[in-house]
Amino acid sequence: MRRPKLRHIGAPIPRKEDLRFLTGRGRYVDDIEIPGALHACFVRSPHPHARILSIGMEAAKKSPGVVDIYTGKDLAQWTTPLRMAPPIEGLHPVEMTTLPIDKVRFHGDPVACVIATSRYLAEDAAELVEVDYEPLPAAANLEQALAEGAPKVDESLASNLVSVQRFATGDVQKQKREAFKVVESAFHQGRMTHLPIETRGLAAVWDEGRQHLTVHIGNQVPHPYRSQVAARMRLSESQVTIASPDVGGGFGQKIALYREELTVCAASRQLKRPVRWREDRMENLMAASHAREDSVRTRAAVTKEGRLLGLELEILEDFGAYCFYPANYLARVVAMILTGPYKVRDYAFEVKVALTNKCGNGPMRAPMAITSWVIEGTMDAIARELRLDPLEVRRLNMVETRELPYTMPTGEVIADITPRETLEAAVKAIDYAGFRRRQAAARQEGRHLGLGLCSVVESTTYGSRFYKAAGIPGSGHEAAWLRIEPSGAVNASVGLGATGQGYETAFAQVVADGLGVEPSQVRMQLGNTDVAPYGMGSRGARGGTAGGTAIFLAAREANEKVLAIAAQMLGFDSAEGLHLVDGRIEREILGERVKTDLTLAQVARTAYLDPTALPKGIAPGLDFSKTYDPPPMTYSNAAHACEVELDAETGALKILRYVVAEDCGTVLNPFVVEGQQHGAIAMGLSGALLEHMRYDEHGNNITGSLADYLVATATDLPGFEVIPMHTPSRGNPVGIKGMAEGGVMGAIGVIASAVNDALAPFGVVAERQPLSPDYLLSLLRQT
Amino acid sequence: MLDFDLTVNGRRYPVRAEPRKLLSDVLREDCRLTGTHVGCEHGVCGACTVLVDGKPSRACLIYAVQMQDHEITTIEAVAKDGKLTPLQQALHEVHGLQCGFCTAGIVITFEAYLRENPRPTEEQVREVLAGNLCRCTGYHNIVKAILRVANERRDAQA
Amino acid sequence: MKPAPFRYHRPRSLADTLQLLVTLENAKLIAGGQSLGPMMNMRLVQPAELIDLNALAGLDLIAEKDDFLEIGALARHHAVESSTLVKKHCPLLAEAAGTIGHYAIRSRGTLGGSLAHADPAAQLPLVAATLGAEIVVNGKRGERRIAAKDFFVSMMTTALEADEIVVSARFPKAAAGDRHAYLQFSRRTGDFAIVAVAAVLHSRKLRLGIGGAEDKPLVFEDFSAHEDPQAIARKVREAVQPTESPRVPALYREELVEVLVKRAVARCLTSI
Repeated sequence: MRRPKLRHIGAPIPRKEDLRFLTGRGRYVDDIEIPGALHACFVRSPHPHARILSIGMEAAKKSPGVVDIYTGKDLAQWTTPLRMAPPIEGLHPVEMTTLPIDKVRFHGDPVACVIATSRYLAEDAAELVEVDYEPLPAAANLEQALAEGAPKVDESLASNLVSVQRFATGDVQKQKREAFKVVESAFHQGRMTHLPIETRGLAAVWDEGRQHLTVHIGNQVPHPYRSQVAARMRLSESQVTIASPDVGGGFGQKIALYREELTVCAASRQLKRPVRWREDRMENLMAASHAREDSVRTRAAVTKEGRLLGLELEILEDFGAYCFYPANYLARVVAMILTGPYKVRDYAFEVKVALTNKCGNGPMRAPMAITSWVIEGTMDAIARELRLDPLEVRRLNMVETRELPYTMPTGEVIADITPRETLEAAVKAIDYAGFRRRQAAARQEGRHLGLGLCSVVESTTYGSRFYKAAGIPGSGHEAAWLRIEPSGAVNASVGLGATGQGYETAFAQVVADGLGVEPSQVRMQLGNTDVAPYGMGSRGARGGTAGGTAIFLAAREANEKVLAIAAQMLGFDSAEGLHLVDGRIEREILGERVKTDLTLAQVARTAYLDPTALPKGIAPGLDFSKTYDPPPMTYSNAAHACEVELDAETGALKILRYVVAEDCGTVLNPFVVEGQQHGAIAMGLSGALLEHMRYDEHGNNITGSLADYLVATATDLPGFEVIPMHTPSRGNPVGIKGMAEGGVMGAIGVIASAVNDALAPFGVVAERQPLSPDYLLSLLRQT
Repeated sequence: MLDFDLTVNGRRYPVRAEPRKLLSDVLREDCRLTGTHVGCEHGVCGACTVLVDGKPSRACLIYAVQMQDHEITTIEAVAKDGKLTPLQQALHEVHGLQCGFCTAGIVITFEAYLRENPRPTEEQVREVLAGNLCRCTGYHNIVKAILRVANERRDAQA
Repeated sequence: MKPAPFRYHRPRSLADTLQLLVTLENAKLIAGGQSLGPMMNMRLVQPAELIDLNALAGLDLIAEKDDFLEIGALARHHAVESSTLVKKHCPLLAEAAGTIGHYAIRSRGTLGGSLAHADPAAQLPLVAATLGAEIVVNGKRGERRIAAKDFFVSMMTTALEADEIVVSARFPKAAAGDRHAYLQFSRRTGDFAIVAVAAVLHSRKLRLGIGGAEDKPLVFEDFSAHEDPQAIARKVREAVQPTESPRVPALYREELVEVLVKRAVARCLTSI
């Protein structure tokens, strides 16, 4: 395939999406007016774990505006349960009904759904539903869940341990025996939630005449979501349309088909009326989806110089009560890519995942978020215990450019990455050498500065061959569709679901270069499954690599056909030397480009309205579909460096500087990429410093409002200094590597590294996040 | 149910609603001005911020019935005749928004704040912006956009 | 998160307001609604009747009297923080009011609402207690003035009778040469303080108010300005008994009391 000169890809074009958002004319689910729509409100369990003895609905049904009230038994007739049973070794199959029937498993579990003429009236009635519960002892944390005789969250399992996976390569035990030292480190990451500013919500519209369900819902993966809705409602995929309008943030929370959503769909079909649900913030915090909460340990066998000889990893993850995803998946990725840019041959891991009586977990922006903290924290621990410079330990162990592609001990291959270059750039930008002098001077004044480093190798884009190798059913491909209309207008689509990433702009740039038009001529039609091709949607950081490449390929195919028709129209034998540039055909004569009179619009008119004039063998119309399956894994990389000041009297932290050098390959739009870097770093820092979804020892959620679940505000975060160091990938024709999650990984790791640098003179190590002031002070109290 | 009039963006809207109906819901459902977004309904996230007599207020903590005899301004009335204000333009040019859900509240807050303090420092901007949660941008480019507007005013005055 | 139904009343005069308070069952007063609103949306509070004070004329005035400032109950926090009178005569109040919540919260929240709500970590009860303000209330038995130290009884409980409302508060003017400091430690800008300290230095005597530590603001008087700030801080720490909470350990609050008192005292002394 000829690769055109890139004129639009990489240009800093302000986003097309902005105008409607800035003027209050975006269309989020709740902004769509649906006459006659009913409103749903869920009755939720006040208990962490309890049997449902009875549900009294008499008073509630008489409440004004109530249309009906549904329970788990009703939903069991209208929908099928979710069975999560992929053929993965070590993972136990589980199943859940659409709403609980016999027992509730966490504080906030939905037990009934009130349908009324307004949300206000639905809430009034929900208060009148009388559920008789028999409270059961709860497994409120990992310790309780794994104790002898623990209450079972899922009674179909032998224990709460839903997944155990082990792996070993080389001989770590031998390395440990023979090493100069074995350095142990621990890492505890708190429970979090995604917290999109727009909560979950949907409007389900059942068309009884056509027997068709339209679901307006902010969603990241419209097509896989549609397949699930159809299957669980015993409908055909052709009877369901998912229309995902503007979405107020997803971060992984808008992927799964949740029980509330399926309930609302079923209610609409049952009542033959539109039904909508807008989750409120209390529900979103307690019952949407949680994430993270891992306890991790590493043991590193090292030489006197700090060279890594062997590495052992243990992960124990608290997955909550329900599995909307295979329970092993998040923690396993951490184990698979842990070693990142560092060389080691002998490696072993054990990944255990347990169910507890908490809201179920799911992937949150960087499901493998803890990875970089763990490996970089291990590097810092090696340096600390051997009294070495942490930067030197990193340099000693990092893969050399000439050793790439490098096969990680798990078999994962890293290629086309630049970890040494980004590390050195970040170190230089933050003035590592000068910092040590400033740090010493500040300590003289009783001020405690710390500098952290964190390299990130981000697994961005999973190809189908990765899934196959991991034994997970599924595909990593993405699909694109492009149509040049008779007027020359260009419509294009991919199967991704936009949640703020600027697809309408960035992909228009890709189409512009691939086809040969102005980006402003291209309209991306996204999120509607009747229009968009069946792609796997937005998750991980695959949008650019998988979606961008797919639409590029479609645009190239369109370009070829346009030029073939143009050649005929201009009276040439072949399209050789013809180009489409900004919607006009140009001809190359002796290396010079000369504009012709022929435009894309004229070619399009011929293709649609005068097909007999087309060259032999060329079919009418200009409609193109392509799919693209990326390599098994695409990696990008970055190095983060930050400087903090710790107030040793209060435990308060202030971030003084934050630098990141990143290589994510070909950049579609630098505005969008930098925005994603900022956002990812912010989410990482917010989690590392503030966010903590807490349950008490009985399993009650004590984080029910935004006054309790703290996310970073503008005064908690620094300005970000971004150093772009992009080198194209050779794995796909555009050179994209993907990004948008690595910032989370780097931020979590670099802040921990910086805080521990500041704590070093006190001889204590922070092993927990969030790095709250009272936690840090509790460490200082020990000194 | 009560019948009352609301003045929103200079226009009178007759409203029939229960007294408990939140201003945010009345604006969205009865006035069909859906640019005001609802993010938390307990006054923390700032997405629903509107102007009440020119002062930024959380629409989720006001009952619409309280707003008789007051002037409400929502995001829909910020750009005049389709022309973005300098703040909206700056947010567009420096990529100060992503999913856009929190944007209306931020624009409304700073249209008011910049009238009160036309040339704030970065620290002041961050203090005020702390009342609006954004989960996408990390605030960096929002701060940049607001400071750009402030600096343009400074240059214009110089 | 929608409030339960209520009947709405918007009296135009104080007399009408007091009459409604006497006659209505399960009534709540609303001014700025920045604390009551969230509680009603969460249905933690479900009044049958809501009496809106916002139409009462004249209750938002900030007036200079001989030796005090009289601030009406409906004065918004933003008006208090930016008032030149308050900045001149009660700089501690202006500074503390400027830290309440966020800009939009301060535009709407009121002084009377904050005092009557009596959150033990809130700024205005702490400042009122520290400065020895008087709360002016009105009820069916007429007007009375309650010293701030008697007004705040415990967690969200005041000396207000059921038929009374706060109409204003009188804050003593600072004397020439007085110094003050307001320090609060919260997790984020705008969050309620874990511990807040208000300090006033008046003719070589220090008065210290502590918010957030116990169920109401605590005031410690008559420390000498000659005493070592660290020693004062120790004494105050020993005198407070923070309650244990799942979110903030009592020990941590104690430590913050000590650090913040030390810093507040030092700030008062060095600002001379």
